[in-house]
Amino acid sequence: MDAVLTPLLDILRPIGITEPVLQFMLVNAILGVSIYLTLHAGMFSLASAGFMAIGAYVGALLTQQSDWPLWAALLGGMAAAGVIAVPIGLPTLRLRDIYLAIATIGFGEVVRVLILNFDDIAASVLTTLQGERVRFRLIEGARGIKGIPTLTETWHLILFLIVLGYLLTRLHRSRFGRAMAAIRQDETVAANMGINVVYVKNMVFILSAVLAGAAGVFSAHLTRIITPAAFGFDKAVDILAFAVLGGTSTWIGPIVGAMVLTAMPEVLRFLKEFRGVFNGLVLLVVIVYLPGGLVNPAGWSRLWQRLGRAQTASPSPSTGVD
Amino acid sequence: MDTLIQQGINAISLGAIYSLFALGYAMVFSILGVLNLAHSAIFMLGAFFGLIAIDQWSLPLWLAFPIAMLGAGLVSVGLELVAFRPLRRRNAARISQLISSIGAAILIVNITQLIFRQIYNSTEAYLPRDLIPSDPIVIESLGLRVQPVRMLIVVIALVLMVLLQYLVNRVRIGQHMRAVAFNQRIAALFGINVSRIFIFTFFLAGVLGGAAGMFYGVVFLNVTPFIGEDVALIGLTAIVLGGMGSIPGAVLGGFLVAGLQIFSIVIGGSSFRNAVVFLLLFIILLIRPQGLLGQPESTRA
Amino acid sequence: MRKVCLALSFLLIGVLALPVLAQDMETPQMGWWDECATPENLPDTVTIGVVFGLSGPISVYGGPQQQAVQLAVDEINESGYLGEGTTLVAMFEDSAGDAEQAIAAMTKLVEEDQVVAVIGPTLSTEAFSADPVAQENGTVVMGVSNTAIGLTDMGDFVFRDSLPESSVIPGTIAQATEVLGLEKVGVLYGNDDDFTLSGYDVFVQALEDNNVAITNEQTFARGDVDFNPQLTALLADEPDALVVSALAAEAVQIITQARDLGYEGPIIGGNGLNSPSVLEQSGDASNGVIVGAAWNIASPDPLSEVWVSNYQAAYDATPDQFATQAYTGAWLMATAIRCGDSADRTAVRDALAAIQDFPTPLGTFSFDEDRNPVHTPVVQIAQNGAFGVLGAEE
Repeated sequence: MDAVLTPLLDILRPIGITEPVLQFMLVNAILGVSIYLTLHAGMFSLASAGFMAIGAYVGALLTQQSDWPLWAALLGGMAAAGVIAVPIGLPTLRLRDIYLAIATIGFGEVVRVLILNFDDIAASVLTTLQGERVRFRLIEGARGIKGIPTLTETWHLILFLIVLGYLLTRLHRSRFGRAMAAIRQDETVAANMGINVVYVKNMVFILSAVLAGAAGVFSAHLTRIITPAAFGFDKAVDILAFAVLGGTSTWIGPIVGAMVLTAMPEVLRFLKEFRGVFNGLVLLVVIVYLPGGLVNPAGWSRLWQRLGRAQTASPSPSTGVD
Repeated sequence: MDTLIQQGINAISLGAIYSLFALGYAMVFSILGVLNLAHSAIFMLGAFFGLIAIDQWSLPLWLAFPIAMLGAGLVSVGLELVAFRPLRRRNAARISQLISSIGAAILIVNITQLIFRQIYNSTEAYLPRDLIPSDPIVIESLGLRVQPVRMLIVVIALVLMVLLQYLVNRVRIGQHMRAVAFNQRIAALFGINVSRIFIFTFFLAGVLGGAAGMFYGVVFLNVTPFIGEDVALIGLTAIVLGGMGSIPGAVLGGFLVAGLQIFSIVIGGSSFRNAVVFLLLFIILLIRPQGLLGQPESTRA
Repeated sequence: MRKVCLALSFLLIGVLALPVLAQDMETPQMGWWDECATPENLPDTVTIGVVFGLSGPISVYGGPQQQAVQLAVDEINESGYLGEGTTLVAMFEDSAGDAEQAIAAMTKLVEEDQVVAVIGPTLSTEAFSADPVAQENGTVVMGVSNTAIGLTDMGDFVFRDSLPESSVIPGTIAQATEVLGLEKVGVLYGNDDDFTLSGYDVFVQALEDNNVAITNEQTFARGDVDFNPQLTALLADEPDALVVSALAAEAVQIITQARDLGYEGPIIGGNGLNSPSVLEQSGDASNGVIVGAAWNIASPDPLSEVWVSNYQAAYDATPDQFATQAYTGAWLMATAIRCGDSADRTAVRDALAAIQDFPTPLGTFSFDEDRNPVHTPVVQIAQNGAFGVLGAEE
């Protein structure tokens, strides 16, 4: 693996992508796929940040407190996220569009608040049980869990994504994959076709949660400290941007989108205080000119035509109501 | 009891700001069916323009208010032209429009940050303390202390809301807005200039968001380029709670969120207030997926 | 006892600053001009890395910190502190208050730009994620605003010049209890922020140690502006004092809103309340605000006075504690480079660790064996828009 990685990093480093940046790009790629799955089944869910938090905290506690190896903690974090996704998904997935988005954002916010107050809640429960004041410190609220061992290595992430890509290709060709696509087209029609819509939607939601959990475990073992603030509303919106900027027509899109959006602030470091302005500008311009995302051949060819037309100085077509 | 009334007053004045802010979200959503996540940046600009008018141009408060509202309204129209219209023209998915609004928000916040640095050499600034008389009105018999400015804000906010309701229901352009919200194509067939209605809607939304931001600045005096982030989620919650696209719903949602937050503090759970808000939201959505005052999905075009 | 300490430390500063004073009676100058010989083996440019939160909400602190370091670097270069022909360069990187960006910035500086040492990052949570990068590369990293417990346990290249809350707050509470005769207090703190939560931890411990009862605890979140609900709940118990663990922006609101609600008693706070904006913005409401902090704008230390007036001249603003610590950090780093007479990372580390009784705006400064700062914190009370020593007014 190093034989590939070292030359790759030698190319990337001059433009500002050092190994940690590459690692965050790969972790975010997993998150991109996580939200892509739900979007691909027609669900506008923003729960990935919340499940990422669950994965991160469970994984960190397993390696730090219980000395589990990374692979075991990874499975633990993914399982925890998946298990919690069941009771969340069952009632929530009846909602659609923006209502689902807000409900899932709400889930993330509740997770964040629970992490912030977990120790206090546990302490007061223990105090009531034992009848004397008990102090309890495990997940440390806003202080964050510190000193998490840096067990994640770049090849873990690359391997994970390769396996994920293989599974996704298989998924899309399977009955289940076709059922997902059918639900996205029209839920009622899909149900009439004999697809168990509730089952498919919940399964996809769980799969998405499991992937977000995995990203959380990997991420916690890169950043060395996890705080609830890192998994809030901002993160949920960032993850959505990964998928949409990349394009949601194939699973490659969210991966590309995540990597581009993660690398951008680092690559733009030379701009100093104008970095943030450019970041916003690039996001805006890309989405306006390529509404289908970066990985969307039709969008590029349309853009190419427009550019060609602009060169021949023909006036832009008159616009009516869209 | 005294504290309860005092807390009630706190909830109303906070709710007025939330409602005003949420209204802008709701209006754009009702017409475009798209969430304008840059609305929080517009809110911030309202406070920022107010700050500039008062602090840099030494204008009186009554003049700074309309400037802040107008400025925010104009930038909001700019958003429509730059971030929404080109995407609609390309028949892009709504979700792409959501992302373009995020891009626009990042852009606005970062540009404001640069301007802040230029003017204040810092990313925060304060409005003058003597901007408004801060001596509270004391009602001894009830043990109440009320900041006059907070009451004033509630009054102005209510007036703006009534004006808006009047505009939407009674004035021609408001009726056109409702027609466009109901169905763009049919509205166009009736000769309504749809793109003008869009621009007008964004302008109104910006004016209301700017007013909310300006209030926020006047009450709390501290203005930074990031104050929008604090209300973005609250505004979203308010409109979903009240019912997407419903104007009275947004107002109800705003007051409800403020009331809930303050209620959780009263019962001793200040750490859990956002969890309380979202749990209630969750329950309401399960019972009434269209929100409290929203129409069921099937009746919307 | 404290006053004796204070007097002694002033004496010490006086003695140490004497040779400098002899050169220029008007303005005392920082630096070990005589303790260390002018370096001869330094390259033409010595580059140090600086990681601060320069964008996003954290830039309220990171911005002034950047200006403070730049001011120090300019002073160091103008005065020829590193010898003829050697220029100190500060390479600034933005961490935006984010752990991932802090790691990326630290990696860039330490591995790509090969800086001699690093100052920063602004937040403790950033430091816990990024400092190990420097440690693994054998590069000094010095926190100038990290107050969390256990920071320097990360390794022998991790330093800080910011006093942890645990060395400031217990003294504040003890002194306040003695002077004001506190029996019961209400506590208000930000529970979603590492800085304010760590402060709260130490406050609770200190209150317990001084047998002060806590009638009620309320929390708020970063970015909150309306504290009326929490304050109303707290004041209902009629506490002797309000104990507040908050950052400056929230502190201003808390103080003014508490006064608006009719509360006239003392408000006790930690580092976060120790910002010029707190006094400037809360005006008369700040009367009775008690702060224990590593440094205060009212410090009578001559070096501190010079620093404040230089900062004001350069940026037309008043420095806060974090900026002062950033300025001090840059001078400490330059002193390590001067005294080590080397731009070698390990040599800088050793020279830095050896710094004892160095005169700074913070007072006479030393590193202890754990690379934590040792200097005397100040407990002050605001009266009529200015800080004064607590207990002195009566």
